[in-house]
Amino acid sequence: MKQGTFDPLLVDVKGHAESLLGNEAIVRGALEAGVAFACGYPGTPSSEVTDSFFRVAEQRGIVFEYSINEKIALEMAFAASLAGARSICAMKHLGLLYAGDPLSTIPYIGPRGGLVVVSAGDPSCRTSPNEQDQRLLAPMLFLPMLDPSTPQEALDMTKFAFELSEKSRLPVVLRPTTRVCHSRAVVRYQRLMPKQVGGFVRDPERLVPVPANARRMRIEIKDRLEIAEHMMAESGFLRVYGNSDQAVLASGAPVAGCHDVLVESDLYGRVRFISLGCIYPLPERRLLEALDGVTRLLVVEELSPYLEDGLRSLAARRGLSIEILGKGSGHFPAEFEYQPEQILSAIEKGLGLRADGPDPLAGQASQVPVRPPTLCPGCPHRASQFALRTVFGEQCLYFGDIGCYTLGYGPPLHTVDSLLCMGAGFTLAAGVSRITNQRTVGVMGDSTFFHSGMPALLNAVKEKVDMVAVILDNQVTAMTGFQESPGMKQLADGLSREVSIEAVVRSLGVKQVETVDPYDLSSTMQAFERARDAQGVSVVICERACRVHLARQTGQTYKLGSYQVDSSLCQFCGREASGQRCGQSRSIAFTRHMTQSRIQHVDCKSVEKSSQAPCSTRCPLGLCIQGYLGQIAAGQYKNAYEMILERVPMPETVCRVCHRPCEQACVHGDTDRAVGVNDLKRFVVDWAHRFDQAAECAPWVDCGIRIAVIGAGPAGLAAAYHLRLRGYRVVLFDAEEKAGGLLRYGIPAYRMPREPLDRDIERMLASGVEFESGRKLGENLFIEQLLDDGYAAVFLAIGAQKSIDLPVERDPDAIEQTDALTYLRAANRGGDVKTGKHVVVVGGGNAAVDAARTAVRRGAERVVIAYRRSRQDMPAWDDEIQAAESEGVEILCRLQPARARADGLLCVKTKPGKPDASGRSRPVAVADQKILIEAEQIITALGQRMDESWCASSSFDLEREAEGLVKIDPLTGRTSHAKIFAGGDMTPANRTVTEAMAAGIRSAWGIDAVLRGTEVADRRPIAPIVEASLEKRNVDRDQAECRRPANDPSRPIDDSEVAVVLTEFQARQEASRCKVCGLCGNCRSCLDLFGCPAFFVRDGGIFIDPELCMGCGVCESVCPNGAIREAANE
Amino acid sequence: MNERLKILIVGVGGQGALTVAKFLGEAAILEGLEVMVGQLHGMSQRGGSVECSVLIGPGKSSFIGDGQADIVLGLEPMEVLRALPKMSPQSRVIINRGVIMPFSLALQGLPYPPIASITEQVQEITPYVFEVDGPVLVRRIGVSRVLNVLMVGALTGLGMLPFDRNVLWKVIEKKSPERFKEANLQALGMGIEAVASKKPAIAVVMESKEATC
Repeated sequence: MKQGTFDPLLVDVKGHAESLLGNEAIVRGALEAGVAFACGYPGTPSSEVTDSFFRVAEQRGIVFEYSINEKIALEMAFAASLAGARSICAMKHLGLLYAGDPLSTIPYIGPRGGLVVVSAGDPSCRTSPNEQDQRLLAPMLFLPMLDPSTPQEALDMTKFAFELSEKSRLPVVLRPTTRVCHSRAVVRYQRLMPKQVGGFVRDPERLVPVPANARRMRIEIKDRLEIAEHMMAESGFLRVYGNSDQAVLASGAPVAGCHDVLVESDLYGRVRFISLGCIYPLPERRLLEALDGVTRLLVVEELSPYLEDGLRSLAARRGLSIEILGKGSGHFPAEFEYQPEQILSAIEKGLGLRADGPDPLAGQASQVPVRPPTLCPGCPHRASQFALRTVFGEQCLYFGDIGCYTLGYGPPLHTVDSLLCMGAGFTLAAGVSRITNQRTVGVMGDSTFFHSGMPALLNAVKEKVDMVAVILDNQVTAMTGFQESPGMKQLADGLSREVSIEAVVRSLGVKQVETVDPYDLSSTMQAFERARDAQGVSVVICERACRVHLARQTGQTYKLGSYQVDSSLCQFCGREASGQRCGQSRSIAFTRHMTQSRIQHVDCKSVEKSSQAPCSTRCPLGLCIQGYLGQIAAGQYKNAYEMILERVPMPETVCRVCHRPCEQACVHGDTDRAVGVNDLKRFVVDWAHRFDQAAECAPWVDCGIRIAVIGAGPAGLAAAYHLRLRGYRVVLFDAEEKAGGLLRYGIPAYRMPREPLDRDIERMLASGVEFESGRKLGENLFIEQLLDDGYAAVFLAIGAQKSIDLPVERDPDAIEQTDALTYLRAANRGGDVKTGKHVVVVGGGNAAVDAARTAVRRGAERVVIAYRRSRQDMPAWDDEIQAAESEGVEILCRLQPARARADGLLCVKTKPGKPDASGRSRPVAVADQKILIEAEQIITALGQRMDESWCASSSFDLEREAEGLVKIDPLTGRTSHAKIFAGGDMTPANRTVTEAMAAGIRSAWGIDAVLRGTEVADRRPIAPIVEASLEKRNVDRDQAECRRPANDPSRPIDDSEVAVVLTEFQARQEASRCKVCGLCGNCRSCLDLFGCPAFFVRDGGIFIDPELCMGCGVCESVCPNGAIREAANE
Repeated sequence: MNERLKILIVGVGGQGALTVAKFLGEAAILEGLEVMVGQLHGMSQRGGSVECSVLIGPGKSSFIGDGQADIVLGLEPMEVLRALPKMSPQSRVIINRGVIMPFSLALQGLPYPPIASITEQVQEITPYVFEVDGPVLVRRIGVSRVLNVLMVGALTGLGMLPFDRNVLWKVIEKKSPERFKEANLQALGMGIEAVASKKPAIAVVMESKEATC
């Protein structure tokens, strides 16, 4: 841009007419005045002043710089003035006060070459945080000031200002406002004047304001102001039109507005119109002349009543009897820019005049959606602030600064909690951190950092403040129109920084400094994490050139490529096809977790996601595990609970006794440890219980059909509940007094406390299931009778109640022997249960461990578990075995019982033989190695099978499979008898509580489908998919660390529950570990979190506008489903 | 010319509203007319609303007061709605049919209001509404950047400017970047035709209602 062709500002022809912006006219005025030095700091609406100088400086041989801030700019300009050069510096209103320190002393010393300060005002805060009126500074600091009303006047005033400054030896402030700066009109040129530099003349007495000199200078200012007033009077910037006793005096931009309003309303000749561009010192003599004969005066000036008050004071001093109207009389507000209709109304009301012509019939304003400015597509600030918000989260406080990145204030980035002024981003973050100890982040751009961020950072370092400072280095001052950032050098193919921000930051004493490329989201987030975890001040510099600027500088194309959304993956729920979509509505917190998880687990970026996560495919109940874990990570526990409740009939139970196949499928198991899924379920269920969130499920309309469910264990309960939900009348029969089956009578209370079990059962029965206790199949309950009584179907779930005997010889006086089931049932009924002093438990499953730990609780002094294979081969859960050991249970492996004697159980040692069908090596007895386990009681836990005694009384035979199990249709649970269904341990299945429940639900849906004659509904839990690859995974790993039972020796060994419950913090941490392996339909991260304007929604689908997309590709990492991909080149 | 012709140009940052204003200003100067251009762009570069004024004829300010716009040139339909207070029953309003979705709507998942409803709202104030099917015409030219010049053409086609098409032709020829020159000149012609020829398929001209004032 710099080496343009011939610039219209440089036409050196007298009388030439050129259409210029007000700001350009100022530059032309300075050129006509022979300016030799120009500088400034860009800021709307002043920026075109510096930008135009930048354009023409070299051609005119002018020394120009974009100074790093306004104070420096003014000092530079003053220095040039001291050296005898006409100099100018430009800034916006805010900058003038930033330069207040030098500004207040320059009038004392006085410039040599004319010094003009352009300070552009911004009434109505169009692009500023305030609309301060700089005019009030003029009398305070002795600054002659001019306020132009048109571009032509801006030119003329600038030229005059140099002369005024030199003659009065005061700096002159030109104060245009937005309306003038950004209006374009034809101006007439005079000839350009060559620049002159007189040189610095040493004269310390006049140039060093030590107190003695300063006092003398102060006196001299009076004389200088007198010169200034005289020159103002002769300047021609006070003009009078007309000769009425009714007058309108306008100043600044309102002069033009007033003029046009008077002309257009035909009031022009009927009032005296005074335009005043001289703000300070007021040309009093000329003003008195102008006001001669005026009886009523309306003052039209925007913002403060500066002139109005000045004129009142003048009138009082000179004894004029003029009625002065304006803000004081309520005709004008003291805020904002004036509109023409406001001015006309004030003239009509104030001066009692009536405009000609009809009132304009204007349209009414309409409610139109706002169109706020947004960061451009491909803006590196979006990537940086997205990463920032994702890492630092909701609790952190964010302090912004002045620049494009201020746009992070709005949705969806929300990275500005407060904002003050240039450089305050760091200071605010530091201050709030010091006083509250809260986590704070300060954000500013490269130019702002150099402007005033450096001292702010140094101050925070000095005070050892705990905060994170982020510098968004886009290598240009973009917001104000792409001015050069300090230290930037333009290369043929790009930009390079000569002043290293990182080096500056380090030299300020910051230890934790990193420079990252925000387009690399993963690395950027990791750098933010390190910054977050570091002590004291840590700095992250996000370096990536503004693409718009780079393209303009290098002529490269703005576009890097183009991305598109794969609609087959976008918002796709892998469970929807089987009717298992969760039904949760989308939320920002949840989406944020999903996205965070994707970016953090970088391995997911390259890996194709499966439609369902492996954990979900292994869940017998078909829970969307990544979904409810996501809700936990997002802190939305109610949503998580709803998701669990929808699929788990007995959440309080399952979260305690599930065998957790999901954790075995967890991909974390390959590298570290599985996510503790079931403990997270426990956390949510406890939360729901604590806050009384237990939701009720409303059954469908009663269909009148009766169904009998036999056996109130997990399968029976689940079936009964789900049948009831579908509108059936269900009677649940059980031989025991209470419902629960194995859960109540098999599992000890320290593992499955009774209160939560009761709550689960109560909730299910409350749906309308009728429970009949004491009904034992084959004794006082018969299937034929039920069918005769009109039950449409029978669901059998009587479990496996018969223990397998210990095949050993018993001496006649052998010690007592009982089976685990009988022993546990007796113990769980609550009465006394006979327990020996020394007990040996035979077996290696959970029942063996349960029996052993129960024996400990029932007073046994020594409990031994004898198992015939190795410890690794024990089917009991690892953490259960560990807990048993911590309670003093001895585990003796490779022992096969041989003979029950009076003094204990004689066992034979075994050694591993060839593998059997289960893959474990078959134990081979070593006959000559015998060991006696001294004991008074043997408890056998060698497995159970169905109690078949009821079959004898039944008139039909159900088809059976191996080991006497009842054969069923795996989809519906239907047996060989059309009206009899079965599930749970009496059928071929993995004998776990969760799978029994799943079988119950499956049968409920199966019965429903058969009775209604429809297809089996898709909503039933899917059968676990066993993938070969999963089987190879290392499943013999630690379960989630956080669930390890307390090994605390002080823990009492009684019936109270043994489990460690996660704290909220632990739960959220643990849930955040989920890698979200499956696709999710509840996401709109590209719009709701990232917010690139290239995205749009049509008919519910998300698309990328190829015209707007510039191909930065950051969104690719943002999409949890991996649905965004680079478009193929055309 | 004694009266000032007040033209309000509304659009979205990046559409070239400022360039439209600049071209009109240049043309006026070539014809020796007084002209003021107000281009209070604010933060418009970042996709916000833009409003420019071009006032041809004697005068000093670049303000257009309520009900004072003689012509509203809408580069984007929704932005035309924002300018309703500037319109009067005499105003001529040209609306480009090509919409730019405000991101605030996209975020909320809300639809863009139908253009027919926008036109209706404008017609409640003035019967002189001209729709220009910008996207279609621009596609015919094949360069998306020419939309603004197309709209300058439509404005010229109204026949209210105090200079003829040749003046604008000269300005655009002189001020266009070389690579857009040809397309811009083509767009100017198409724009003029779109409004002046009143071809219903391209420009729907509604003059059935009588002006009320």
